[in-house]
Amino acid sequence: MSAVLDGLSAVFAVVGALLTVVAAIGLLRLGDTRSRMHAATKPATLGVLSCAVAAVLQLDSLSDVSKVVVIVVVQFVTVPAGAHMLARAISRSSTDG
Amino acid sequence: MSWAFGAALALVLLAALVLVVSIVRPTSLGDRAVAFDALTSLITCGLLIAAAGTGDGLLLEVALVFGLLGFFGSVTVARFIERSGS
Repeated sequence: MSAVLDGLSAVFAVVGALLTVVAAIGLLRLGDTRSRMHAATKPATLGVLSCAVAAVLQLDSLSDVSKVVVIVVVQFVTVPAGAHMLARAISRSSTDG
Repeated sequence: MSWAFGAALALVLLAALVLVVSIVRPTSLGDRAVAFDALTSLITCGLLIAAAGTGDGLLLEVALVFGLLGFFGSVTVARFIERSGS
């Protein structure tokens, strides 16, 4: 059972890392700011969630698991708010959007 | 199984290097702010993977503080862009 949990955790960690790589490639390759923002906000939610599942499967104390839950909740609240503020500022100030 | 976490951390490091390149690259201020925002969430990802690999609970507190600091940083940059233009 422990080996199964270790394998699942490793798979989730690698999936999260691959999502970050995809976001980095998208930031380099995509053309305008909104497309880049579309690529950049994928690992901020799904990648962090996947890495958090990997961490929860490895950690065994309740306080560590609750810290991971707090991290995920904070990330899911703050990332859309921050991206929204950035997008509004960019679209109000620039001429290319 | 620790080699898988090492490989995942290496992938995150590669992505972070690419993001640093796209921050330093001469683009508009908004593009750099987007790349900075992505970089902070990517470092949170890396800290969570490191916590999974080592079982160290202290890294989780670092990840929490780092996520909050990244949010405040991108809000500050957004206010600055809105006020001064890109």
